[in-house]
Amino acid sequence: MHKTYKNSYKLYFAIIVFVVYLIIVPLAFRNNNYLLNVIITSSILSIISLGVWLVFAIGRINIGQGAFALIGGYTSAILLTKTGISFWLALPLSGILAGLIGYLIGRPILRLKGVYFDMLTLCMTQFATLAMLNMTKLTSGARGIINIPLPKALKIAGITVIPQFTPGNYIPFYYLTALILIFTFFALVRLNNSRVGRVFSSLRQHEGLTASIGIDVVKYRLLAYTICCFLGGLGGSLFVVYTQSIFPTTFKVADSVNFMLYCFFGGLEYLFGPILGSFLLTISFEYLRVIQKYQEAIYAVLLILMMLFLPNGLLSIRIGQLHDKTKLFISKNKKKVEM
Amino acid sequence: MSQIIINGIMLGMSYSLIALGLTLVFGIMNIVNFAHGQMYMLGGFIIYYVYAQWGLNFFVALLFAALLLGVIGLVFEKAFFRRFLRESRRPESSMLLAIGTAKLLESVALILFGEKHRGVTPFITGVVSFMGAYIPKIKLFIFIMSFILILGLLIFIKKTSFGLALLAIVQDKEVTKLMGVDTNRLSMIGFAIGAALAGISGGLLTLSFPIYAGMGSDISIKSFIMIMIGGAGVVPGAIVGGFILGMLESFGYGFIPGSATYLLIFLLVILLLIFKPLGIMGKPGY
Amino acid sequence: MGILELENLSKNFGGLKAVNNFNLTVEKGCIYGLIGPNGAGKSTVFNLVSGFIPTTSGNVIFNGQNIVGMKPNKIAKLGLIRTFQEPTIYKEFSVTENIEVAHYLHHEANDFGHFLNTEKAKKDNEVARSHTHKLIDSLGLTKFSDLLVENLPYGQLRLVQFALCSSGNPTLFLLDEPFTGMNLEEIDAFSKLVLLLRDNGATIIIIEHNMKVVMDLCEKITVLNFGEKIAEGTPNEIQSNALVIEAYLGSDTTF
Repeated sequence: MHKTYKNSYKLYFAIIVFVVYLIIVPLAFRNNNYLLNVIITSSILSIISLGVWLVFAIGRINIGQGAFALIGGYTSAILLTKTGISFWLALPLSGILAGLIGYLIGRPILRLKGVYFDMLTLCMTQFATLAMLNMTKLTSGARGIINIPLPKALKIAGITVIPQFTPGNYIPFYYLTALILIFTFFALVRLNNSRVGRVFSSLRQHEGLTASIGIDVVKYRLLAYTICCFLGGLGGSLFVVYTQSIFPTTFKVADSVNFMLYCFFGGLEYLFGPILGSFLLTISFEYLRVIQKYQEAIYAVLLILMMLFLPNGLLSIRIGQLHDKTKLFISKNKKKVEM
Repeated sequence: MSQIIINGIMLGMSYSLIALGLTLVFGIMNIVNFAHGQMYMLGGFIIYYVYAQWGLNFFVALLFAALLLGVIGLVFEKAFFRRFLRESRRPESSMLLAIGTAKLLESVALILFGEKHRGVTPFITGVVSFMGAYIPKIKLFIFIMSFILILGLLIFIKKTSFGLALLAIVQDKEVTKLMGVDTNRLSMIGFAIGAALAGISGGLLTLSFPIYAGMGSDISIKSFIMIMIGGAGVVPGAIVGGFILGMLESFGYGFIPGSATYLLIFLLVILLLIFKPLGIMGKPGY
Repeated sequence: MGILELENLSKNFGGLKAVNNFNLTVEKGCIYGLIGPNGAGKSTVFNLVSGFIPTTSGNVIFNGQNIVGMKPNKIAKLGLIRTFQEPTIYKEFSVTENIEVAHYLHHEANDFGHFLNTEKAKKDNEVARSHTHKLIDSLGLTKFSDLLVENLPYGQLRLVQFALCSSGNPTLFLLDEPFTGMNLEEIDAFSKLVLLLRDNGATIIIIEHNMKVVMDLCEKITVLNFGEKIAEGTPNEIQSNALVIEAYLGSDTTF
């Protein structure tokens, strides 16, 4: 009985989210660039955070995602400004390069235990910033890369599949990021429900046991980490083309921490967690701008309170509990009315 | 060249002090105090105000910094970490809590002090010449003070029963509990000492380096590097890490352009960890 | 040549000699005991043999093959399985899910196939599922199949753990304190399981603090203290060995 409630809730929820996300919001707010901007940003941050979630899923903490967002961003920036490559090629290439670098660096560092891995990933973001700062021939150092061209139309066999992106028009980016997010989400859902997802979970619960029954732990760790870095690079590329600029400080240590935060806020047990976290925190952060001075402090207090009272994230509030409590409330009041 | 070596040694002594605070907390509570850099920063600001602005004696100001940060450490442990380590389902959550405390301290500091960089005029001016190198007297003072503090800490740990109890917790918390030691209370005090050390380092180094509210994460990163190099949770590891970083920095800034130095240092750290995944003196179990 | 030969096996942690020149010959089809006071290095030996930590020096010869430097999952596939001190089980999985994990190695489809849920993958899952159900039924755990393992009574939990580690038909078992926390009934049942394993051709090495079990079950016992072998022999020989008694003085194990 309980299971059908859960499944039907999930379905209703998914449908509502789709309709709102893909139809209602862009239609109703197509001229509200501020809101569109917030949602586009949230979508991009969600994609990047989903990568971080995957590393949490194997029981590790990755505080270095900012580095890969930076790598992906710079790859796209350089490809788009220095070569004539189309964005539609640059985007996947950025992800792939980020993933490749993740794979190469993951091999040695994933062997590190606990805190050493955590601390090292934290330093990685700083390292990436410094690297971009110093490779001036390629990245123009501190000056950054600006005037990154907007995506051109994508023509397959003469037919315009995707129209040219025009300045000031947020809708194309809205749909681009939304569709990529949805695709990524469902791809990860499928991955997580398959044998691979089970292996990830087994790594998180008892890595030693998994190795001792013959499963190649290193391979799966690397798989999760590589996909994570790929998503980081992909999101970074999207962000950079959206804002049409990139600097060594576009993604900082604070951003790496934020990606982690979004995962936690939503709830580490659910793949939807990082998406929920990204959207809620980005939106509320934007609206807290009015109290700009105290924004960070409130953020910090919220974080601490959350860790103290809801350490398993928002989604850990059981929908079933809410349903039962509502029913109880209704039946109590019904009695009162009948009397 | 001798200048570079001397600089490295002087830096190393202060860095060791910074690293010790972090490694102590890690050894006792098995969490990385992400707010370590921010506590350092607060110590610096306390010196800036109490000593430089209000004119009190430097040592009094330093003591005040130690006490205030110690209290903050106590409060953090009791109010946040202790109840937290009991309840949460996933161990990563404690790291996020630590990050939250760091953010809190930093944002409060930004509100109170703004973003301006601040410096303190040293009370000893002039330089001494030693083996072909010039050492500003104030840096010599910092060097000597750091040395005294580190020595004091080591004596405290190895010789007092309190310190030995802390050491016991680092080595085996469960057994120490079974021997009747109140590990909760000791953890709280251990954390307070770690925080106080961070504050003292900050206060001391303010004499020579400018401080600003946002410097927390940079200091934290340096501390992490030292711990990774030297080994987490072990006292000699902090000292080794501190001196190695001091030397690397000094050589780096001496021979290659500024920002590339840390690039190299990061690469070296990764390389080191490949061959010594627990740092130079790290022990397994972390 | 025994099924397992340890030649001058050593492990240093910094300056600490956790295991020092440990030599051992394990004959096929026997039940061995590895005992010693806390911190003697017993679990470290298991970690070294099963590839979980790198050796400092020495050789580990399993079935004539030197397995030093091999990855733990490769060693497991060769037929050497170890358990851990804390429950060697996936706490957040159900009984069925736990045992299914052990079947992943028998799958035909690869990871990508499973990601796409191809026909091959679906068949893999079916086969694994039916094998798992058979195993669960044979262990008498049918009514627990969908229960989260952490909610299982302790004895049943141990059965699942046993099912997990024996699913690949290993030839050598390294059991790390398997009897911890068991009551007399459970000890009896599990001892019978160990004997059954032996009768089916497996070799077993047990680290254990429960001396009665060790003396009853093991045919040969090796004693470690401070990383070094201080005695070796039959249960009777060990029980009357002065060095062994001295090593245990002060601990609460009674013979």
